[in-house]
Amino acid sequence: MEKELLHGTLEVLILKTLSWGPMHGFGIGRWIEQLSGNELRIEEGSLYPALYRIEKKGWVEASWGVSDNQRRAKYYRLTTEGRRQLHKNADTWSNFAHAVARVLGAKQQPAS
Amino acid sequence: MSATPLWRRYLRFWGSDPGADVDDEFAFHVETRVDELVAQGFSPKAAREEALRGFGDIQQVKAICRTLAEERERTMQRTQWWADWRHDLRFALRQLIVSPVLTAVLMITIALGIGATVAIFSVLNAVLLRPLPWADSDRLVFVYETWRQFRQGSASVGHFHDWTEQGDVFEHTAALTRATFNLSDGEPERISGVRVTPGYFRALQIPPVLGAYFSEADVARDARLVVLGDGLWRRRFAGDPSIVGRTIRLNGQAHTVVGIAPPETNLTRLAPEVLAPLVFSPQQRANYGAHSFTVIAKLKAGVSRNAAQADMERVTRGIAQREPKNMEGRGVNVRSYSDVMFGDFRTPLYVVLGSVIFVLLIGCVNVANLLLARATTRRREIAIRSAIGGGRWRIVRQLLTESVVLALAGGIAGVGLAYLGIRLFVSFGPRTVPRLHNAGLQPEVLLFALGITLLTGLVFGLAPALRAARENLLMSLRDGSRSSLRASGRDTLRGVLVVGEIAVAVVLLVGAGLFIRSAWRLQQVPLGFDVRGVLSARLALPPERYAVDDSVADAYRRILEQTRAVPGIQRAGASTGIPLMGGGPDASVQIEGQPFSPGSAVSPAIRLITEDYVEAIGMVLVRGRAMTAADMAVGAPPVVVINERLASLAWPGEDPIGKRLSTWTREADKPEWREVVGVVGDVRSFGPDTPPRPELFLPYTQAPVMAWNAFQRSMAIVVRSADDPAVHASSLRAALRAIDSSLPLYDVATMREALGAEAAGTRFITGLLTLLAAAGLVLAAVGIYGVIAYFVTHRTPEIGLRLALGATPRSVLVMVVRHGAVLAVIGIAIGLIAALAATRAVATLLFEISATDPPTYAAGAAALFSIALLACAVPAFRAVRVSPMQSLAEP
Repeated sequence: MEKELLHGTLEVLILKTLSWGPMHGFGIGRWIEQLSGNELRIEEGSLYPALYRIEKKGWVEASWGVSDNQRRAKYYRLTTEGRRQLHKNADTWSNFAHAVARVLGAKQQPAS
Repeated sequence: MSATPLWRRYLRFWGSDPGADVDDEFAFHVETRVDELVAQGFSPKAAREEALRGFGDIQQVKAICRTLAEERERTMQRTQWWADWRHDLRFALRQLIVSPVLTAVLMITIALGIGATVAIFSVLNAVLLRPLPWADSDRLVFVYETWRQFRQGSASVGHFHDWTEQGDVFEHTAALTRATFNLSDGEPERISGVRVTPGYFRALQIPPVLGAYFSEADVARDARLVVLGDGLWRRRFAGDPSIVGRTIRLNGQAHTVVGIAPPETNLTRLAPEVLAPLVFSPQQRANYGAHSFTVIAKLKAGVSRNAAQADMERVTRGIAQREPKNMEGRGVNVRSYSDVMFGDFRTPLYVVLGSVIFVLLIGCVNVANLLLARATTRRREIAIRSAIGGGRWRIVRQLLTESVVLALAGGIAGVGLAYLGIRLFVSFGPRTVPRLHNAGLQPEVLLFALGITLLTGLVFGLAPALRAARENLLMSLRDGSRSSLRASGRDTLRGVLVVGEIAVAVVLLVGAGLFIRSAWRLQQVPLGFDVRGVLSARLALPPERYAVDDSVADAYRRILEQTRAVPGIQRAGASTGIPLMGGGPDASVQIEGQPFSPGSAVSPAIRLITEDYVEAIGMVLVRGRAMTAADMAVGAPPVVVINERLASLAWPGEDPIGKRLSTWTREADKPEWREVVGVVGDVRSFGPDTPPRPELFLPYTQAPVMAWNAFQRSMAIVVRSADDPAVHASSLRAALRAIDSSLPLYDVATMREALGAEAAGTRFITGLLTLLAAAGLVLAAVGIYGVIAYFVTHRTPEIGLRLALGATPRSVLVMVVRHGAVLAVIGIAIGLIAALAATRAVATLLFEISATDPPTYAAGAAALFSIALLACAVPAFRAVRVSPMQSLAEP
């Protein structure tokens, strides 16, 4: 299932994945897909601009390291500010998701 | 397979490269994905296509990422930059607090230098640079008639009229002439004022404080109008606004006050308190022979001074064709207002500013030397800083920040000192300098202060900072704190700095020396009269009560009679013009037996005198006799006394006694011969620096009507006494009151005071330059002392060894002093050459002394050399007293 994701959603998802530890762009995309049960397919064309955006905001910082397949890869790490943003936005998003789910799962018309 | 070419990695060596980073990151992503897909069974080609699909337009995505990365990079750099500055600043402040004595010495040096520079600049700014209060003031010009070599002569009414009517270049023109008025409402007072044509106010465009100015139409209806100066209005009329429309009595006549003028309506050096209309009759408009008006004009927009000059020459040529006789030797000269008013002050002020900047420069060198000395003790700190990764530029910046902070602290204190300095200038500066009272800490002065402060910080900070950055890291760490000094203790950089400051000090000394010699020469000039024991005071008789015939002369005769009766007064006389107290009209002279034409005639200054005047002022009688009471009697034969200059012009090589001349005749073209009865010595009437002019003295009782008008019925009473002449001012007033109690006495001054006021400007500049040269000399001495003391300190072990091995104290003394003397000689040589070039700027300000005057240069060099030796002697004697044991025991 392919979905257009809003910028903000994707940024929160990236922050969430990085909360387990540093990872390169390829790995971040793969993690999000796996965690969503392959429901979310992350377009590289959206993923990378989102990464650079939050790097510029100072939520993550990057450094070059060596990947599992012995290649030079750019690893992103959550900053203190990034962690703060994650907590702030995660709550907002889950509340929003619950609300949407409740609406969509409604069985009867609201009383008018 | 790596898609990153090897060379690209080296790009990172020069700093980050966001573009390459994005390429590398995307390449990693694509390659990892391709590997994965190939492992799943895709062909490499299909795998690559599949991998790229997720990027959409990969170039566009790259571009977005690159932009974001670059923006991030810039923000980071900025943040880092500010953080560095904050760190440098904190560190600098700590450094200054750590050594409070050194900081205080440095700050005082800088504060004095900057304070003096800012104070002088503020004066220069007020006098020369600040805009004039009038709209388009750069379009204001003076229009002069020239006559032979005199470039700034007054104009005739005919000229003024024709220039105005026939010229194409002026928006407004105005004629003005000095006029003085006896104001007789209440205590009689002599008021200085001007008469102006109404165009004057249109050219200035300054609104009146109250009421209005007079226009041509107003003046045509009633010429007895007057505009009061703001100062007079407040002083005499308590600022009462109802004065407008009322009448006041000037010269005994009622004048209607039409308005109050602000101080900005004063265009000349006259400082008038009353502005009255100047009205010309048709006969006056046809007069091209009497030259007594100052003409001011405002150029039309876009017209240059040169264009105006050309146009005025055109009009004046027309006049010359119609009036060939009056125009012989005459021309026209258009000069910009500010040139005429402030031109004389430009060179002196820039010379003083240059000198004070020299002193500041010497101060900078001393500060740099102290910082260099401190840098030696900080060598270890800096070595460690660079060892742990402080870049060279980073260390230079740290040290420059320290010196700029120091300079700013000194600069702030300096502005405080400048404020005091400006107050002193305004109170004690010569009154002759226009606009001096405007000097203050205006925004542009503060901006100058900031600029010169930062520059100062950079100048004295640069040498120590660059030196520190060049330090050999390993050497410094290995040698420890004591020194990595070159064993000799000779320090080229400090030597160069000291040579430089000695050179600058020599220039200052020579400059001041020239001014002192010039001032001394001025004092030696014989003035031609005796200033001791002479008091003068002026009065003017109003035309209403003193009709032109005998009443004027009779009044002066009676006043002098009263004066002579005062005990203590030895001699009393009067003249229409006396030395040092303003000029007087000229008159062309016809000499008997010689051809006469107005253009080429001798034109002496003309003075009406009483008997005893020559004796009272103390002029020297060279031949014949002075005026006697008999010459003043009614019906006495017409006589004249002339000065030597006039005698040599009129009858070169002949005895003038008994020869005859004619001047100021009752009818034109009809000579009235006067016999020369005496010749007096030349008098420097305009001060010691102006050569004497031809002068001619007539008995006051033989003056034609027009003469008394030209002199405004005014004479200066001169009394000579054996005691202090100033005490007789009150007896003069009493004598005058006995004759006419409504007449004010003015310009009361002893000749000594007049001479002092005359020389005030020159003396002021000479004093300033002497002060600055003295400051430069002391600072240079301190500088050379510092270097020699440093030299001795660092050679103490060697000196101790030499003494232990049997060197005589004398040889040690010679060694140390020679080191200083070499620096001094090099500095003095450079300074003398620089002085030759620099003093050319002051050549025009010097009186009868060449800017390359050898004695002055020799004296400057000698003064500096002796001071330098003295400064060396102190550390040299310390070197001699070095105890060999102690110095060798030291590490």
